[in-house]
Amino acid sequence: LTSVSVASLVSSGEAAAAVTERKAPAAIVGQRPWKVIDTNLHLFQWPCRRLPEDTVEQLVDKLVKLDIFQAWAGSFEGLLHRDVTGVNDRLVEACQRHGRGRLSPVGTIHLGLPDWEGDLRRCQQVHRMRAIRLYPNYHDYRLDDPRFGELLQRCAQAGLLVQLCVSLEDLRTQHPRLQAADVELEPLPAMMRAHPQAKVMLLNYKPTAGGLKTLPEVPNLFVDTARVEGTDGYAHWLRTWPPSRVVFGSHAPFFIYESALIKAYEAELSDDELLALFQDNALRLLGFAD
Amino acid sequence: VVAEIERTLPKMKKGAIERACIFQHVGLGTASAEVEKRLREDERLIREPLERWPSWLLGMIQINALHRERALEAIERWIADGPMVGVYFAGGLREGYPCSHPNFAPLVERVAELGGIIMQHTWFDTTNRGGPAQSTPSHLATLAGRYPEITFICAHAGGEWEKGIRAIRGLPNVWIETSGFDPTAGFIDMAVRDLSAQRILFGSHLPGRSLGTELGKVLAAAISEEDKHQILGGNLRRLLGPILQRKGLIATPPP
Repeated sequence: LTSVSVASLVSSGEAAAAVTERKAPAAIVGQRPWKVIDTNLHLFQWPCRRLPEDTVEQLVDKLVKLDIFQAWAGSFEGLLHRDVTGVNDRLVEACQRHGRGRLSPVGTIHLGLPDWEGDLRRCQQVHRMRAIRLYPNYHDYRLDDPRFGELLQRCAQAGLLVQLCVSLEDLRTQHPRLQAADVELEPLPAMMRAHPQAKVMLLNYKPTAGGLKTLPEVPNLFVDTARVEGTDGYAHWLRTWPPSRVVFGSHAPFFIYESALIKAYEAELSDDELLALFQDNALRLLGFAD
Repeated sequence: VVAEIERTLPKMKKGAIERACIFQHVGLGTASAEVEKRLREDERLIREPLERWPSWLLGMIQINALHRERALEAIERWIADGPMVGVYFAGGLREGYPCSHPNFAPLVERVAELGGIIMQHTWFDTTNRGGPAQSTPSHLATLAGRYPEITFICAHAGGEWEKGIRAIRGLPNVWIETSGFDPTAGFIDMAVRDLSAQRILFGSHLPGRSLGTELGKVLAAAISEEDKHQILGGNLRRLLGPILQRKGLIATPPP
């Protein structure tokens, strides 16, 4: 391992070469037929720790370095702030001013606040967003809450993707005064059946042994890869979920960006699978069909 | 175990992992009752992986200090007279003690006499679900403070690594191991700042974790190439030198 040039990891393509027998499919080390779209990024500062890339400029430098074509960016401010309109305005401004065309803002909707509907309208009509992001475990509601159903209805009508953050940090390492357990997903299938046009994507979902086995059967439910783990992690994920509904997500900058890329490449996926994972599934989610 | 290693070997090759320490149950209350019974009935199950992959695997025994006399016997059998190179004090036990308990004293003293590695599972569980046998880095600091000449490895850096690093940073004889938690950014950077790279050992946590998660922590850290070399192999070679020499085992040469 120590003979592997760490510098080679600065390129997402060469990350594969570094850890996969120093040999990777031609499509990876050469002209890749896909662009990497990261569906799970946050801007600004994590409340409990300074992260190595938690300024927008640093993060965009990283995107350039790792050849990430586009990242869907939410805001860490959305977890605890209650002026969510301001949170989303700052996010959009940061993406426009510093994003170098690589950041796509994803607004926060806080269903516990009065007039969340106003924030939703602003995300869609003023900011022209294609997706919004929810944090039920920080905003203190369950998925059988009628407001969640109403949001699904409105997002389905507006053609907005709903990104649902299942977790942001392992419960076992969280700050004692900021404990937020993973979102309970049991009510989700029924809610989505009631709103069949809604598209929902789970971020940072990590199935547990006793977890819900029926989630992959729910139409229009997508999942990202940020917390896929284990020797057979990706292979298992792609056996469990329809491959067309698994999308690359890094959870950077909280998680190490390179880790997400190495995990994807260590899985020995075919070029077609990598194309779907890194690019096509994400494009389809936003309505850029085939 | 053999089947699991066979499943994991391709990933180890991919990660260019030249040698790996495996933590083997030897029937001392660290596994399920069924597994424990089988291991006690047939010791070949314990020896087989090391005999099959002698140039790749280094064995360490998992022990529970609750069973002090049996643990001492196991140290004699498997380290003094057998193929193993150290002990792993396991976590997640149904019963046992944290490592500051007096039962640990004769065990670590004997392993140290033999030149073996002493690794302790640690976790600062913020949900308080660890149970009475859970050891934290603070427990390990208490134990290590009594033996400044013995090196201790703080496995998983306590999980909540910001607190874990702080708990042991004043004790030069305590090193940390890097695996077992999500690839949270900034970990290695802080560890090198507070401990120096010489007190950090890479762990893959295969097959439970991905290469990406564990290698990424070191490879992507903003530290020097030399520090990465030390963490990814140099430090373990240094630590293992005496016992490998005594056993006539070969340490892989540095690149």
